[in-house]
Amino acid sequence: MQEKKHEDPTLPGESVEIPLLAPHLSTPHFPARQIAGYVASLILTGIAFFLVARHALPLSWLLAVVLILAFLQAAIQLGVFMHLREGRGTTWHLPIIGLGLFVGLGIVGFSIWIMLFKSGVS
Amino acid sequence: MRPWFIHLIKLLFPPQVLLPDIVGIDIGLTLSALAIALYLTKARRWGWLWREWLTTVDHKRIGIMYIIAALIMLFRGGVDALMIRSQLIVPEAHFMGAQQYDEVFTTHGTVMIFFMAMPFFFGLFNVAVPLMIGARDVAFPRLNAISFWLFAFGAALFNISFSIGGSPSAGWFSYPPYSELQFNPGVGENYYLLALQVSGIGSIATGINFLVTILKLRAPGMTLMKMPLFVWSALVTSTLILFAFPPLTVALGLTMLDRLFGASFFTLAHEGMPMMYANLFWIFGHPEVYILIMPAFGIFSEVVPTFSRKPLFGYEAMVISLLAITFLSYGVWVHHFFEMGAGPGVNVFFGLSTMLIAIPTGVKMFNWLFTMWGGRIRLSVPMLWQLGFIPTFVVGGASGVMLAAVAADYQYHNSYFVIAHFHNVIVGGTVFGLLSGMYYWWPKMFGWKLNERQGRWAFAFFFTGFWLTFMPQYFLGLEGMTRRMASYPPGLGWGGLNAMSTIGAFIMGVGFAILVYNIAWSRMHPEWDTTGDPWDGRTLEWSLPSPAPAYNFARIPEVHERDAWWAMKQRGETDAVKLSPDQVEPIHVPKNTPMPICLAVSFFVGSIGMVFAWHWMAILGGLGVVAALAYGSLEDDTDRELDPTTVLNTEKRLGRVHP
Ligand code: HEM
Ligand SMILES: [Cu+2]
Repeated sequence: MQEKKHEDPTLPGESVEIPLLAPHLSTPHFPARQIAGYVASLILTGIAFFLVARHALPLSWLLAVVLILAFLQAAIQLGVFMHLREGRGTTWHLPIIGLGLFVGLGIVGFSIWIMLFKSGVS
Repeated sequence: MRPWFIHLIKLLFPPQVLLPDIVGIDIGLTLSALAIALYLTKARRWGWLWREWLTTVDHKRIGIMYIIAALIMLFRGGVDALMIRSQLIVPEAHFMGAQQYDEVFTTHGTVMIFFMAMPFFFGLFNVAVPLMIGARDVAFPRLNAISFWLFAFGAALFNISFSIGGSPSAGWFSYPPYSELQFNPGVGENYYLLALQVSGIGSIATGINFLVTILKLRAPGMTLMKMPLFVWSALVTSTLILFAFPPLTVALGLTMLDRLFGASFFTLAHEGMPMMYANLFWIFGHPEVYILIMPAFGIFSEVVPTFSRKPLFGYEAMVISLLAITFLSYGVWVHHFFEMGAGPGVNVFFGLSTMLIAIPTGVKMFNWLFTMWGGRIRLSVPMLWQLGFIPTFVVGGASGVMLAAVAADYQYHNSYFVIAHFHNVIVGGTVFGLLSGMYYWWPKMFGWKLNERQGRWAFAFFFTGFWLTFMPQYFLGLEGMTRRMASYPPGLGWGGLNAMSTIGAFIMGVGFAILVYNIAWSRMHPEWDTTGDPWDGRTLEWSLPSPAPAYNFARIPEVHERDAWWAMKQRGETDAVKLSPDQVEPIHVPKNTPMPICLAVSFFVGSIGMVFAWHWMAILGGLGVVAALAYGSLEDDTDRELDPTTVLNTEKRLGRVHP
């Protein structure tokens, strides 16, 4: 394999070869952040599940709270597990995360629009 | 005998798997498995199988395994299809009972889409993409092996359902409420859910892998706009997979919660909402049909220029139309359920967006035609499939636009018209494309070509059979025949058209048989490809020997233009790919690993536990998954170095070293 200089892997055309082979960037310390993130996402899921299973709130409140929980959840996933805040490779991260948001919000928005009819049917 | 034992036997072998034809197949399969095991033992091939294939992480070998598996699944799905058509050849036939008929069309559709078409193009991606972009492997070789084994064991899980426990019967999209426990109490539906879930994880991983590979591992100088179009199609397909599969995961997961844990997301009782399933499924389902067609578009964009000896006409327009199709295909899914009653606003929006897709698709058609225009066309087998694709796909696209007219779709929906439409685009587009690609890259995979004359016959039968099978179905649809009828009464005027369709299906079956014969015969009488460039190709994979060495490129090529290899040939610089002894460097290659197959086996065991609700077994499988992942994460020694002498010797043997 050619000896590549790894100074700025984000330059277009610069190819990072098989990443297994890239210098191990692993940090030796205890992964406290990851474990906290994991526990937090479990708790958020648990709250949402509890609220829905117990019909704990009126419907419109329920929707609002669940949506907020969903956004928190997404933020934790992106921040803790998806390396959003790591500098390397942000040139590709941003457009793809933008696309993800666009598609995700589009799907949710359209689905709400499509399923609205059921209030007229049932 | 003890009662639990009788209970277990009844659970594993309900009446629906004890039909004489199924028992016959069971016996045949068992005997052939024994024969293969015996052969491997006698020839002392187990070690070879394990070292060279089961633990490999080489993208070329993984690609080959995908393609072989896909051909086997094409056979299985094809047998299902012939069974369906045999039942429908005359009115009121009783070749199969209604339950078995339902199971057969369900497994036909599911197998063809998830276990034939998808692995087939994953295989071609694996075989061709890294070579086309001048890379030594995919970005995550191990993940690639994981993807393959998850697919393989997912497919195995789905396929054993017909001999153990019973097949699913709710159609390939498996709508509730029929797929719920109340109406569908056996284990068949569980098989469907788990098998798609397991192989779906693999598909998402493949999407990520190729996305990263293409964005990060291109040879120096290969900018995005210099990539071969097949690579572009792999890029957009991967993007589509990444965004389309999660909604499917959710739909399947919630159905599983309903069936196994008493939830009621999609049930009729307890305010469940079955229509939400249709919504979620088609958010996945429509992008999925474009996932199936994009690779075929990519293959044709390589085949047409090569066999017309002209650069692709309108490269930029091709790229833009790929991107436009990708974008639009997320905004059309309601066209699969206009009849649900979401109202005129929703339906008009999605009807119009659906029609828009025909525009970029048309652009691509014209560009292929203009590429051929004035070219020197060679009618080799890959090109024949391409030529067959053009009229077939145009008819399919045109009928699609007819379906997109909302008011008319109230008539067409769930009729044979829809069946004819999607077979026109999926068989005439995807399958023709995949077979074209298989013939095209076969010499690169194995080092020998498939016999041309036999290949032509296979094409001729398949193509003729195709038209005879599916054209009558448009008219059957217009005459009111709905899909998924286990039999139909006489006197409706459907008999003749159905008989034609069945005859056509058997002609396609003959075409497939010739194709298999073609492969077997060419294996015995190989026509070796000694140049590495049997078709006078244009892209980088043809600059390598066939098959390529494990590390692909001893020296990563520099790219200055599109169709890089063609340009080198034009300038007489083909020697540039050869090595001089002082240029040799050590090459890192990833090591084989048993981890992926162990992971997939654990998923398989756990899934069986879920299917039969044996919780101990599900937990066992889950622990296996965790163990395999932990082993994989903690292992450090994942790659090895090929020293320069080995590389030099290999290249010398291939005649690729300057004296
Ligand atoms: C010009 C492009 C296309 C248009 C306008 C179009 C439109 C449609 C519409 C409106 C339906 C729903 C009909 C109904 O259920 O009543 C449909 C069904 C379908 N289409 Fe297309 N389509 C197009 C291309 C494709 C392609 C390229 C594929 C796959 C490679 C495809 C695969 C399918 C499948 C699988 C179904 C039926 C699924 C099922 O109900 O089982 N279509 N199409
Ligand atoms: Cu669609």
